[in-house]
Amino acid sequence: MPDFVLDTDLPPSHLKLMVQLAPGHPTGLNLSNPVIAASGTFGYGDEYSEITDIQRLGAIVCKGTTLNPRQGNPQPRLVETASGLLNSIGLENIGVDRLVREKAPVWAEWKVPVIVNIAGESLKEYKDLAAKLRGVKGIAALELNISCPNIKAGGIEFGRRPDLTARVTAAVKARNELPLIVKLSPNVSDIVPIARAAAREGADALCLVNTLKGMAIDIPGKKKLPAFGSGGLSGPAIKPVALYMVYAVAEAVDKPIVGCGGIESVQDVLEFMAAGARAVEIGTASFTNPSTMINIIKDLTDYLSRSGINDINQLVGTAHRW
Amino acid sequence: MIPAGPQIKLLAPVLSNRMITPGSYILSFQAAEIAGTARPGQFVMVRCGTGSERVLRRPLGIHRVNFTGPAKGEVSLLYSVVGSGTRWLSELKAGEYIDILGPLGNGFSLGPANRRLLLVAGGIGFSPLNFLAAEAVKKSIKVTLLLGAGTARDLYPEELLPQDIEPVMVTEDGSAGKKGLVTDYLKLFLPGVDQVCACGPLGMYRAIEARRKLLKETPVQVSLETRLGCGIGACFGCTVKTRTGLKRVCRDGPVFDIDEILWSEVKI
Repeated sequence: MPDFVLDTDLPPSHLKLMVQLAPGHPTGLNLSNPVIAASGTFGYGDEYSEITDIQRLGAIVCKGTTLNPRQGNPQPRLVETASGLLNSIGLENIGVDRLVREKAPVWAEWKVPVIVNIAGESLKEYKDLAAKLRGVKGIAALELNISCPNIKAGGIEFGRRPDLTARVTAAVKARNELPLIVKLSPNVSDIVPIARAAAREGADALCLVNTLKGMAIDIPGKKKLPAFGSGGLSGPAIKPVALYMVYAVAEAVDKPIVGCGGIESVQDVLEFMAAGARAVEIGTASFTNPSTMINIIKDLTDYLSRSGINDINQLVGTAHRW
Repeated sequence: MIPAGPQIKLLAPVLSNRMITPGSYILSFQAAEIAGTARPGQFVMVRCGTGSERVLRRPLGIHRVNFTGPAKGEVSLLYSVVGSGTRWLSELKAGEYIDILGPLGNGFSLGPANRRLLLVAGGIGFSPLNFLAAEAVKKSIKVTLLLGAGTARDLYPEELLPQDIEPVMVTEDGSAGKKGLVTDYLKLFLPGVDQVCACGPLGMYRAIEARRKLLKETPVQVSLETRLGCGIGACFGCTVKTRTGLKRVCRDGPVFDIDEILWSEVKI
């Protein structure tokens, strides 16, 4: 007894689920719906294709990609916590050259847009990554990862200081023509100046938030967990934090926002949209239920029908008027 | 036999869920789709709960499949209650539904010319070896099972073992069967064996690895257990280092050749 019906019918034609994440960019970065698979939880897209209809997603963000392949952090890399998940994968990935050679040609055949998440340890690495991904077919946009808590150098440091966020955003923008989403870290005292810095230097959209830094301790085993010593917390536990940050940035910055953090239901999506998100990324909830994103797209369609709302964009930012 | 199909996610009716040793249970559910395609050593990801409290599914090896019973496609899982998720699972009752994703991963492979199989099971690690033993018997392979537990009451019940295999019970305290660890008896049961398959704790694999010379050229397959996130190869949460590069336990494994794993690097 399958618990979902593979419904290949498109939403009724008068309903508009399409969202635009880069209005100032020639491509617009138009997504058929606002539901995006979050980086690090969806591999390179093909892993989930047997279980769920990935072509129906708004977009897929691939595993964080670095200049050179990375082996990642030691085991254990995952710890489940109350309504959450601590991970410290450490950006294990195949590196940008293999991605361009092996993955991008596959993506070029897909209907669903694929966004490449890029992470570096230095400004030079970000520049080189942007240059290597210039003009590559099969890539719809870049997501600038300046918020990974699980690597020893770089990464999150760029996302903690407005001046560094500005420099890395400008550097990537100068070397790559694709729409750019900057993914911000919640591990900061004030996210708004960082969001402003990214927006000022040409980010087409902002994604917030990445994982919250945390740890677990195994008393009988006398161990810190994950083995790296800390990890990034995701899942429903962080939703209120992410929701607030989306709200605060939406108030201050006039750029499309992609909300991310603990989203697992259509209700969560509606809340993030009301806070100011134009789209959402879903990660950990796909582990709990691989059909989560497809179910949400269907539930969003039903919600619009029921509420007599023709265009999903009408839901964006409504909480700012309440 | 239903031809091998893709992995599926389904809600399957629970047929039974009963304790077999203190803290260990066998849960059976009806899923002809999984029973028909699963191979020994494959696993399923089980959702343990209905709310937001536990975000990860629990990977459980397929313990038994049965087409002959009234359920027409029964799949059984053997598990120990180790935390809140498996405790929740242990409270599921017949008639309720279990949320399953599977079958997943690469299982054991029996060499086509092999005639004598030695199974080495440590505790709950017996789970997938039961399915493998049944398949081997069907192929007229002679199966010897070294089955270990800490003490007599934790030993898997002998009456539930597949018929036509030679079980050798081993307990650490000697309260039933032979005394010691299953790996202490490898040498005794190895003559004539042309394949070894093992499932148990990391220490057991290290003990087998330490006796690699004794095993000579006999191929040894082991089923690795790490913490899994997605179960399908997307999150890289379960990666281990091998001689042929990084491998995902969930998608490239969980069964590996013992010589492929870099045991000095494995910390699970």
